[in-house]
Amino acid sequence: MKARALSVVLIVALFLLVTPIVSAQDEVVISWWTEPNSVPTNIQELFIDPWNEAHPGYRLEITEHEDLNNVLRTAITAGEAPDIIQSPGASFIAEFVNAGLVQPLDDYAAQWGWEDRLLPWAFQSGFIGGKLYSVPLTYESMILMYNRTLFEEKGWTPPTNLEEFEALAEAAVAEGIYPLIYGNVGWQPTNEHLVGIYLNNVAGPENVYKALIGEKPWTDPEFVEAMELLRTHIADKGWFSGGLENYFAIGWDDYWPTLSSGEAAMMMIGTWGFWGVGAFEETGTEWDWAPLPVFHERAGEYNYELATGSTLSINAASEHPDVAAEVIDFLLSDPDRVLDMSATQSFGEWMVPVRITPEDFPEGVDERFVRFFSDFAKVTGEGRIGYTTWTFWPAGPNVQLWEEIELVWYGELSVEDYLANHQAAWDEARAAGAVLNVPAPGVAE
Amino acid sequence: MAATSLHREAHQARRRQQISGWLFVVPVLLLNLIVVVIPSIAGLGMAFTDWSGVGSMNFVGLANFRQLLQDQVFFKALIHNLIWTVFFLTIPVALGLLGAYLLSGIKRGQMFFRVAYFIPYVIAAVVNAQLWRFLLNPRIGIGPALAKCCGITFLDVAIFGSRDLALFGVAFVDMWHFWGFLLVLYLAAMSAVDVELYEVARLDGAGRLQQFRYVTLPSIRPTLVFTILMITIWSGLVFDYVYIITGGGPANASEVMGTYLYTSAFERFKSGYAAAVGVFMTLWVAIATGGFVLLRRLGWEI
Repeated sequence: MKARALSVVLIVALFLLVTPIVSAQDEVVISWWTEPNSVPTNIQELFIDPWNEAHPGYRLEITEHEDLNNVLRTAITAGEAPDIIQSPGASFIAEFVNAGLVQPLDDYAAQWGWEDRLLPWAFQSGFIGGKLYSVPLTYESMILMYNRTLFEEKGWTPPTNLEEFEALAEAAVAEGIYPLIYGNVGWQPTNEHLVGIYLNNVAGPENVYKALIGEKPWTDPEFVEAMELLRTHIADKGWFSGGLENYFAIGWDDYWPTLSSGEAAMMMIGTWGFWGVGAFEETGTEWDWAPLPVFHERAGEYNYELATGSTLSINAASEHPDVAAEVIDFLLSDPDRVLDMSATQSFGEWMVPVRITPEDFPEGVDERFVRFFSDFAKVTGEGRIGYTTWTFWPAGPNVQLWEEIELVWYGELSVEDYLANHQAAWDEARAAGAVLNVPAPGVAE
Repeated sequence: MAATSLHREAHQARRRQQISGWLFVVPVLLLNLIVVVIPSIAGLGMAFTDWSGVGSMNFVGLANFRQLLQDQVFFKALIHNLIWTVFFLTIPVALGLLGAYLLSGIKRGQMFFRVAYFIPYVIAAVVNAQLWRFLLNPRIGIGPALAKCCGITFLDVAIFGSRDLALFGVAFVDMWHFWGFLLVLYLAAMSAVDVELYEVARLDGAGRLQQFRYVTLPSIRPTLVFTILMITIWSGLVFDYVYIITGGGPANASEVMGTYLYTSAFERFKSGYAAAVGVFMTLWVAIATGGFVLLRRLGWEI
């Protein structure tokens, strides 16, 4: 009797054990690898669960991977990559395209009207060789963040041009305050943020655009002037973190306590910086942001640099490309969901460039975030755009740009030689067909 | 006839023994073939291509090596590896020898010191590196704290951000975690030295320094030479602490071959070129090992 009861219990237990396995085996997994520490905290309930419910028989699996790009490059070469390929930017997709490892998205875009859902420049940034290969997961721009409490105390206002910027920097130094905090510890490409800002705001977006499309050499005087001014500010004047030595020894963890405590007045950073403003609550100070100052009249009125943070593509080897495309479409289909998810990251991550209006933002969202996205839409809509290096530069010239600038700052390489090397890197990339789609200034909408 | 049969049986037994010996070795050889030999040959082959790490690869002959021999950053990295080697062959070895010699005279509490000195060696490189990055932070590290509280300013510099100090700063952190390992090795070697040798030396009037020079050092020579060989090899392959703390910067001031290989492959996407750097690193190891073998052949007791 006991033996029979035991048998029944064992069979039931075995059945219970096997049932979920069988059920899980019936489901087709759609895989997507993403960067860690940037995923919306509510992604499960707002994105994964609703998608799974709407797609019976399929299960969306989003997993976080450190050093994602390198992990992906290895996996995609080995034929083991996920269905959805997330890259750090459009320029990284080019070599996957050349190797036939990702597939065109034109048919899906046409089927679901992605062009109408996305901001025009963001949609265009995914084209390589006339075909759409990626859509942005997040967009960003460069801004000037500052300690508003400190500015009010000192009677300062955010600078709008070179004269105001230099006067404010001198005033801050005189008070024993770093005019700007920034550093590249933990992420050497941080250098490119500054290079891009000075190229856009000294040489001007028109000239940068011409150089990007190959109509103007990077060795022209406007670019020399831009890099000379950056060298003066960072190396000669030491306005970034008090000097080069500090710049090379300071990273993200130092930015926020320094800025919020008033040890530093300002920071030129991308809108991912919104993610760090919680530090101001700890010090009881207030932060704010302003457009970057324009350093030369040829750069015109202030602009916003266009940047896509990460991009999404579909693995050419995916067994379910249509379903993977449905995941992307689900992401682009609901602006409210985008804002609700991105709100958990202070709109610094997963801010998909779908068309939104200020009214779309959830109740209670900080006015400063809404002000940025509203102004960004207005200004870029008027065609006042700049170009970020990680979105519009091919990988080769991009790496040269942020690596060799350190030699310029230390006086080991002249600005002229640096830009000549940059031009050579561009020539190589252009010959290899690695050039990306670039929207012209003045015609963003 | 009987002798022939015996001889055949002995021969067969020897063969069986040889075959069973090989059978034991085969799994390890296969493993070695899969994880060492084949990737090494593939790496060597890759050095003659323009592979980016993704997609097709084209044979470019010696182009990568020609470019490498004209690459100033690579030569800077190579020189840094040489500086690193000299640094590690002197300071940690001297500290390890001194520490082990002093500790060998202690009977009570020796284990405590052994453990204390050895602990940094078993902590992950990334933890040690972050710890020292925090300690030497130019804002909140010990440098500015000492300057503020006591007026001691010599440490109030951004060591990892300074072109003159970055390489030595990283080497210091690596040495901090490494020298305890040498100490334990030398201590173990010293404990095996016949105490009678010291007694004889003392009777001959040798002081502690002379005992160390004429008894300890010759007695632990195999261990000492082994560590020198390993330090030379490891110094050519150094990567982790440099990559974590400075990434080779600022402006290549702490670049070593290992970080240059990594950035070539994973930032500039030049896997073929990176493989050529790898070939030079292998050459470094071959020269160090070859030198060691040569000295043995020449009759050195090492």
